[in-house]
Amino acid sequence: MKILVPAKRVPDTDQKIEVCEDHSGIETGHLPFVVNPFDAIALEEAIRIREDRVDAEIVAVSVGDLEYEEQLRTALAMGADRAIRVDCIESLDPWNTACVLKALVEQESPDLVLMGKQAVDGDCNQTGQFLAAMLDWPQATFASRIKCLEDKLLVDRETDAGIETVELPFPAVITVDLRLNEPRYASLPGIMKAKKKEIAEISMGDLGVQNAEKMHTVSVRSAKTARKRVMVSSSCELAEKLRESLKST
Amino acid sequence: MSLSTETYDVIVIGGGVAGLSTAMQLALRGAKVVVLERERIGNGSTGRAAGLLGQLRGNSEHTRMLMDGVEIVKELEEKADVEIFVQTGSMRIAETDARAEEIASLVRMGKSIGFAIDHLPADEVKKLLPYMRTDDLIDACYCATDGHLQPAELVSAYVKVGKDHGVTYKSNSPVTEMLMAGGTAYGVKTQDAEYHAAVVVNAGGPWSYLNAEMSETTLPTAAIGHYYLTTRPDSQQPIDRLSPAIRNRELRIYSRPESGGLIVGMYAAEPEIYDMKRLPVDFDMSAMKASQASIDVALLLDAAQRRFPWITPQTPMNITTGIMTFTPDGRPFCGKMPNIEGVYHCAGFSGHGIVQSPAIGVIMSELILDGNSSYDLTSISADRYFDVPELKARQDIDTKCCEMAGNYYGKVERPSAPAVS
Ligand SMILES: Cc1cc2nc3c(=O)[nH]c(=O)nc-3n(C[C@H](O)[C@H](O)[C@H](O)COP(=O)(O)OP(=O)(O)OC[C@H]3O[C@@H](n4cnc5c(N)ncnc54)[C@H](O)[C@@H]3O)c2cc1C
Repeated sequence: MKILVPAKRVPDTDQKIEVCEDHSGIETGHLPFVVNPFDAIALEEAIRIREDRVDAEIVAVSVGDLEYEEQLRTALAMGADRAIRVDCIESLDPWNTACVLKALVEQESPDLVLMGKQAVDGDCNQTGQFLAAMLDWPQATFASRIKCLEDKLLVDRETDAGIETVELPFPAVITVDLRLNEPRYASLPGIMKAKKKEIAEISMGDLGVQNAEKMHTVSVRSAKTARKRVMVSSSCELAEKLRESLKST
Repeated sequence: MSLSTETYDVIVIGGGVAGLSTAMQLALRGAKVVVLERERIGNGSTGRAAGLLGQLRGNSEHTRMLMDGVEIVKELEEKADVEIFVQTGSMRIAETDARAEEIASLVRMGKSIGFAIDHLPADEVKKLLPYMRTDDLIDACYCATDGHLQPAELVSAYVKVGKDHGVTYKSNSPVTEMLMAGGTAYGVKTQDAEYHAAVVVNAGGPWSYLNAEMSETTLPTAAIGHYYLTTRPDSQQPIDRLSPAIRNRELRIYSRPESGGLIVGMYAAEPEIYDMKRLPVDFDMSAMKASQASIDVALLLDAAQRRFPWITPQTPMNITTGIMTFTPDGRPFCGKMPNIEGVYHCAGFSGHGIVQSPAIGVIMSELILDGNSSYDLTSISADRYFDVPELKARQDIDTKCCEMAGNYYGKVERPSAPAVS
């Protein structure tokens, strides 16, 4: 069984984020970059599936420039067997990312694409869905529990109405939610092994895809925080104030 | 535009345990004090600390400071009505002859000053710490009166008692300039105000060397990274909240119970050095995170697993990472420098600032108000490297301090017998 896990390089959004003066994006000079937290969860799940059934191979993929190797190296250290970087200097929108992944899926023929429900930089939550549609594969989004059986997958999905359990045949696309698992920190042997591994590089041309922008960033601005503070003198007063503000929204 | 000016007896730069304890002790003796904190009170190193308290040090004066500190904390607990000190007892374990010798000389020294310490037979170790691997141990010693201080509770007690005695606390107030005239400091500047006082205390933790630079002084401290893990409570692996703290110097790790889980921290052999100048002005230490593939975390996990075999990369845990302040000899800097009047340094507490802070506050207030202290300060005086040319350049200082940090647990200690007291 082969599992493909896309891993995006994103700024750590727990840091203080500032918008560039020309509103073209955010200031990244001082920001640490991480594996998109949802992708790390997907990778962790893939590793757990492999721990359960020995025959699984995990391939981590990234679409980006040379700097993305840092995140792929992390994926290898955590436990991915191989890593592929599709070289791309532009930042792709979800549609184009899905196009690249589709081409890669056709080349690698995985049984399962396990990916984050969204990347925390754009929060688009589209790539997985686009990819499943383009491949015409079954998909389960917002997974909070995955059971990988011999011939099918059982997935608990988090929906606004509660947990929905769906059954999927292989091959399939699953996008994962926060509560699925807690990604591990790499072990010492994991880091050592990852250092020696090669990260395969493929060009967009090799895959026969071109970036055809569907989404265009006009301007980036930070949300206005109109937080009003009031001092209250008791918990009763606090409850009353909360009740009022809930009513008025 | 002219800035507003406020006048105090003492200005304390830095709202970590060192600055807060100093401010409180000064106020208890009637001084009018302001604490200026660049970000939030208690959110620097102090907010990251594990709080381990091992009172027996290689130097008897330091041991006295820590033992007195416990008494101060007990008073504070009453005044502020919080539990700060958790007396779990502590244990040192040895798996090599050299480490066993280390323990033997520590026990001798402790006994000679009347400190509660003794060797502990293997079956007792096992009984006290059922979740620890013990089959490889040669010796262990136990100190019943050790434990840990809860950093957040200690901070709130300092602030509560300080407030009751008139201390003013200002957060989001980075000090950007020292005001000086003729070799004497008379205050500081923040973005929107001037503060005047005859005494300025630099309790800036990892930032302390930058603050010293504002008064044209080289303070040989360095900012060094540190990591510990905290496992989540697990019914399969119960950890009593009063289980003794453990120091396993050979593996470079320490451990203590925390909310049903276990803290395991490591003094790495090659820790990371931070350039505090390059961090954002509003840097928030609590937002520091370890990378999923951090070598420091991997080393920590590896060592933790050797002593606690049930800890694996899959164990649910949090990793805490923060910055400590090291000095070339691992001891803090307390007091004035010869080149400038009015500035008192109070920084460089390595991995012991929480537990040193109660006595340090007393020492600083004595130095500032009386000009001397009831403690022998030779080993912690601020000017002990003032004339050392090898400790002037930043890179040399970083290297020396990093070496010290690397040796912290690594080197086998030979505590000397105390001078007759
Ligand atoms: C991960 C970790 C674990 C630790 N474990 C332990 C332990 O088990 N036991 C123990 O005793 N100690 C431990 N320590 C060490 C302990 O945290 C420190 O020694 C102690 O907190 C130092 O206190 P401080 O007041 O000197 O520094 P800090 O707490 O860093 O306080 C300094 C403050 O000064 C402020 N400041 C600096 N410059 C300026 C300026 N120009 N203007 C305004 N404000 C300024 C900073 O924002 C900061 O809040 C640990 C530390 C870390 C990082």
